[in-house]
Amino acid sequence: MEHLFVQLLIVIMFLAAVFLHVVKKNSTAAVLYCAQSAAMATILLAASIEADSRPLLFVALATFAVKTLIAPLFFAHLIKRHQLKFSASTYLSVPLTLIAVAALTALTRSHIFAPLVALGNGREGMLSLALAMMLISLFLIVNRKGAISQMIGILSLENSIVAFAVFAGLEQAPGLQMGIMFDILVWVVVATVFTSMMYKQFGSLDVTAMQRLKE
Amino acid sequence: MSPPCSASKNNMSLIFLAIASPCIASCIALITKRRAVMEAATMIASVVVLASAALLAFNVAKDGVYSRSVYFSVDALGALVIATIAVVGCAAAFYSVAYIREEAEKKVIGSSRTRQYFLFFNLFVGAMLFAASTANPILTWIAIEATTLSTAFLISFYNKPSAMEAAWKYLIINSVGLLLGFFGTLLYFTSVETGGSMPLVDWGLLSSHAGALDPVIAKIAFIFVLIGYGTKIGLAPMHTWKPDAYGKAPTPIAALFSGALLNVALAAMLRFKSITDSAVGTEFTGQLLVALGVLSVVVAAFIMFAQKNYKRLLAYSSIEHAGMMALGFGFGGIGALAAALHMVYHSLAKAILFFAAGNIFLKYSSTKIRHVRGALRAIPATSALFIFGFLAASGIPPLGLFLTKAHIAAAGMAAHPVAVIVAVLSLIVAFVAFLKHTHAMMFGEKPEEIAQGESSAWLIIPSFVLVVLFVYLSVHPPAYLYTLVSAVAASY
Repeated sequence: MEHLFVQLLIVIMFLAAVFLHVVKKNSTAAVLYCAQSAAMATILLAASIEADSRPLLFVALATFAVKTLIAPLFFAHLIKRHQLKFSASTYLSVPLTLIAVAALTALTRSHIFAPLVALGNGREGMLSLALAMMLISLFLIVNRKGAISQMIGILSLENSIVAFAVFAGLEQAPGLQMGIMFDILVWVVVATVFTSMMYKQFGSLDVTAMQRLKE
Repeated sequence: MSPPCSASKNNMSLIFLAIASPCIASCIALITKRRAVMEAATMIASVVVLASAALLAFNVAKDGVYSRSVYFSVDALGALVIATIAVVGCAAAFYSVAYIREEAEKKVIGSSRTRQYFLFFNLFVGAMLFAASTANPILTWIAIEATTLSTAFLISFYNKPSAMEAAWKYLIINSVGLLLGFFGTLLYFTSVETGGSMPLVDWGLLSSHAGALDPVIAKIAFIFVLIGYGTKIGLAPMHTWKPDAYGKAPTPIAALFSGALLNVALAAMLRFKSITDSAVGTEFTGQLLVALGVLSVVVAAFIMFAQKNYKRLLAYSSIEHAGMMALGFGFGGIGALAAALHMVYHSLAKAILFFAAGNIFLKYSSTKIRHVRGALRAIPATSALFIFGFLAASGIPPLGLFLTKAHIAAAGMAAHPVAVIVAVLSLIVAFVAFLKHTHAMMFGEKPEEIAQGESSAWLIIPSFVLVVLFVYLSVHPPAYLYTLVSAVAASY
């Protein structure tokens, strides 16, 4: 039952990563990231309950606070402040993007990723989905022209690496996980400030508008 | 193995002192509004770091690894990297004071920018020292990520659209690279058996468990780590952020990027190389490093030729040198020894060049090569330093980088002759390119509106001290330096 619940959570995370490629509104992308992070925090919570560990519980709560509350709040503030309703376009069209997403997901089932999936020790399917999320998130960063989408892509990539670590039994000591979480929090703050500064300079968050470095 | 710790308490204090000093200076910059206080705090902190690093290096050379704890431990590689951070950091701190004053006098920056500069400068130095001295791979990763976050605002320091663009590119590329590096780091932990949650794993534990690492996983992990930390090192093809960031950051920061941060990331990568070598042999990592090393040297050399901006020129020169270091460690043996020494010489040479480039920028208010003419007449001392830096970085005999480049090439000639020939030909191209641009900037008639004379003696003194140190280490390298370098070559 527990296993099924965790499977459901990783599927939610995966679907959130897929839908991030399709959505046009920045606010929807932020909500999807919020959902993905909530699923991630719940997985960590389940792990802490299973291990009966209070430090791990704090890590799960910190994850929830940083990724599900603080980061989306920063995004919401940014979107509202600069009236950034719609995300910038993608390099590939939606059908081509979905084909690429499907291909990347299929790739994680191939022999190339077999050694990594084998680390799952009974959780191969979940590791495979975590790897697919990693590839899809990387593709999101590359394919999207909007700065907010790129930020969410990086955070989604981080979520997928954490999911992989949990299912492969590679979670770090709680102290280190808190350190990583602090790092993510600072990253969100810095990236949001930068995004705001970029908007003031370029009047857009479309990264293709940034052409000043070409000489 | 190194002898056991004999004075761990003392050295833990030295590490603490080295890391805490810039952090305190950073806090002072945060709470005070007085520029003189920020400057004094930064200079004092840099001297404390320098003294701590020197003592640490002497102790490590004498007794081996110190402070064997799961949190902090400094071996020969760590000591060498900390020493380069301390030397370049101290020179950059003193140079920064004069540089920022000049910028403030010209009304290019205001008081809040000055405060921001010293705040992030010290945080950056502190994060690098933390990364070089921690014994835990995850803490190393966190600290290197912290260097990204602390320097992003320094790249966008001048608040121009191009600077903003460079900073965003830097943030995104390095964040993605480091996340991939983080994934690779986690894969190395598969060798450690856990009965539940992961214990605190230090480099020593990972090394001792390297035999238990699945060879395929070890290879995959190293590829991810190489992409991650290779991005920070600036190895081609992950180098694209480097010319933009170096070009837009204030020159003391660019000097720290090239002279210190490059070594920090290289050291992290080398520690994983050592573990991977234990699991799968040296051939796999060696070939990857040789491939990326040659690519970096070739790409840098040819782009240097067409360069229009002298700060970007120095950035590509850094990529070329990073490529040489990768080649040296990829070849192993005498190549690794030369590469370790190359790290030290390159740090000094590049700091001299960037400080001179900063003086040129202050005088000409442009980073375009075509705007800089007759520098030798306008700023003779700076020009002499730039020419010395150019000769040193190009590896002109009898300077240190000539010896290291020659030894790296010799080390690879038997096993990788094609790579060596391509690299040497590219080095010649890089030298010609650098010479062409240096000649164009130094000679000819200076524009009439450019006044003759250096802006401040403090813009010259740090570089002059580095020149003296560079020459001393080139002609008479002290025994303890060889001890450290030999220990690095033996382990990596």
